[in-house]
Amino acid sequence: MTRTTLQVDHIARVEGHGNIHVVVNDGVVETVEVNVVEPARLFESMVRGRDHSEVSYIASRICGICSASHVVTDLKAIERVFGIEPSPRTRALRELLVYGSYLQNHATHLFVLAAPDYLGQPSVFPLAQTDPQLFEQALALKALGNELCTKVGGRSIHPITAVVGGFTHEVSAGEYRALAGKLEAMVPFALATVDVFNSFPVPDMATEGDLLAMVEEAYYPVECSDIACFLDAGISFDASDLADNIEEYEVAHSAALFARVKATKSPYMTAALARVNASWPYLSSNAKVAAAKAGLRPPERNPFKNNVAQAVELVDALERCAGICRRLAENEVPGRSTPPAYTVRAGYAVGFTEAPRGALFHALELDGQGKVVKATIMTPTAQNLANLEADVRQLAQKLAAQGVTEAELRLWVEKLVRAYDPCLSCSVH
Amino acid sequence: MNENRNTSSDLAGTAAVPLAAPASQASKAHATAPVPVPPQAQAPSAPPEPALARVVVVGLASCFGCQLQITNIESHLIEVLGQFDLRYWQLTSDGHMPEDFDVAVIEGAVTTEESLAAVLRLRERAKAVITVGACANTAGIPGLASTRFDERLGEVYQHLPQACGTPIAPRSVPSVITVDYAVPCCPIDPFEFLEALGRALYGSNRTLGTRTMCGDCKRNESACFYNQGSLCLGLVTRAGCNARCVNLGRPCNGCRGVSPHANLESAREAVARYGLSVKDFDLRLELFNQTNPVLSGRE
Ligand code: SF4
Ligand code: SF4
Ligand code: SF4
Repeated sequence: MTRTTLQVDHIARVEGHGNIHVVVNDGVVETVEVNVVEPARLFESMVRGRDHSEVSYIASRICGICSASHVVTDLKAIERVFGIEPSPRTRALRELLVYGSYLQNHATHLFVLAAPDYLGQPSVFPLAQTDPQLFEQALALKALGNELCTKVGGRSIHPITAVVGGFTHEVSAGEYRALAGKLEAMVPFALATVDVFNSFPVPDMATEGDLLAMVEEAYYPVECSDIACFLDAGISFDASDLADNIEEYEVAHSAALFARVKATKSPYMTAALARVNASWPYLSSNAKVAAAKAGLRPPERNPFKNNVAQAVELVDALERCAGICRRLAENEVPGRSTPPAYTVRAGYAVGFTEAPRGALFHALELDGQGKVVKATIMTPTAQNLANLEADVRQLAQKLAAQGVTEAELRLWVEKLVRAYDPCLSCSVH
Repeated sequence: MNENRNTSSDLAGTAAVPLAAPASQASKAHATAPVPVPPQAQAPSAPPEPALARVVVVGLASCFGCQLQITNIESHLIEVLGQFDLRYWQLTSDGHMPEDFDVAVIEGAVTTEESLAAVLRLRERAKAVITVGACANTAGIPGLASTRFDERLGEVYQHLPQACGTPIAPRSVPSVITVDYAVPCCPIDPFEFLEALGRALYGSNRTLGTRTMCGDCKRNESACFYNQGSLCLGLVTRAGCNARCVNLGRPCNGCRGVSPHANLESAREAVARYGLSVKDFDLRLELFNQTNPVLSGRE
């Protein structure tokens, strides 16, 4: 009888603080717990009573890397309450802002956090010596994400210019054109990134949970839709009906709430992988070719493939954003981005975006003065935790049956956690 | 600050720059006596090549944004990394916190007993402590939860999960230990961080400016928000960001912290003169300065 207790304290190379606890007894996995040990910052309480104009500014500070997504999600919720319809130009700018954070997030996750696993390195820094060209291009890609966020939002994280109904500042047509050129020039590196991550061997497994993603008619949406879809259960719902469709629950070992599909009680994954499954046909042409070449086509349920899905999204984001920048430069996007005057009113609505790491919901109830009565924030990582635990269990069971060493088990469990690209500080807000 | 640091150290320590934020002086209720920096042991003989300073980067309650800003020092990153020995950075590598290091870079506010103990330990070991970002310097946005803290825990959790640690009302790092160099803003400007790191590594007497922002703003020839009927905290906020937000059409929310030279009373009078609500002005000030005693002094 062999009993292996795997305790990974302080999962490295993820954002935030967490531990994994796995107990394998005689080849049978008994316990799997992902502990998020972030301190509670109580955002939902601190925005209560504050003016709606401050909420996105505060909520942005939930997470540096998805700050643009928190801001846009919050603004969407407020606009839905007030009945403001942002112009297509404002929406285009928001899409750029969200995609800027995709470039930052995916480049950081893939190269700084995930790649060292597969190259057998403790961190990204040795890569600077062994493959300086790759390292430099990865940094350049991240820098381009920063530049996109800075041009549109005024700063690489915690955007300044995005406000209710519009933007307080826009760059010149020339700057949009220059950005478009830089984005296009980065496509070959993103294509190579898909190949690099596709070449890393991963265990064959399929998540048993559901998949959740934003959906839109004939488009690869990250900002423009309010409809979420559970792909397996076949349930589509408006984000404002969130509470009827997603159930949050407390578990003692995690500071973050867990989530499941209300109708089926199934855990679910929300991430680049879910988006690619939901909207594969609407990826940009090069992204689709790269995905097909990498064998990434729906249905793809291997959570390790989230890394490849992120790489495919890099290609897509670069091409898509280059197109948006050119249309903005030529004034082909209707409407203005100047924030409109509006009247506040009481109401409840849910803002929804696809953050780099998956579906992000902000539910806001405002009073007649436009002050927050209640706020509920559901981050992608918190939604993923239950499914992550189920996948770790499945993987550990599989590896234990193959009789792998404890060190190998540990390594693969950590790799799986990192493939989910969790943001633990985000999950406890 | 501690004069010992003026003597030779492998950090070339010069007079440490005291953090001018009032929070460091006046916090009372929870004040833990600042832990003195132990005097440097004299190196027995000058080593031919000085060892690189050993740096650790630690995140408390934060959004990780300031650490991200450090990784945003793209083209300079490798060069900078060559100047010191990065002993521990949880965000970017495996490995555990070492026992020995010279400089501790701290991001985030203190919000649990556990992080309070960790900060005290860091202060005991580190020759220099650099705080990065509003969360660390003024308790920042996490500090918004510092009033009615226990009530708020109940609003979010029915049962507080063990994994949250033992929560305490959020507080800034300089309210619990002596901080040598503070890099302000939310998020920090990466170049201001490099400057502070340079000061910690090679020594310098430069301190953070204490002027308020309006002078810079006027030089930028931006139209003042007060003339447009909007509040702006530039009136009382420490200058140095070149009025970044105001330049982009958004009022200042005070992320650099209240300037020690700010005259809050006359600012409130000005707010009232423009026909704006002083109550809203004070509420807005809470965003980044909730735990600042200057504010808690108000009724
Ligand atoms: S100061 Fe701002 S950017 Fe820095 S960690 Fe705190 S919230 Fe994030
Ligand atoms: S109050 Fe604000 S807008 Fe007016 S001068 Fe000062 S910093 Fe500028
Ligand atoms: S203008 Fe104010 S809020 Fe904006 S960066 Fe400067 S100090 Fe911070």
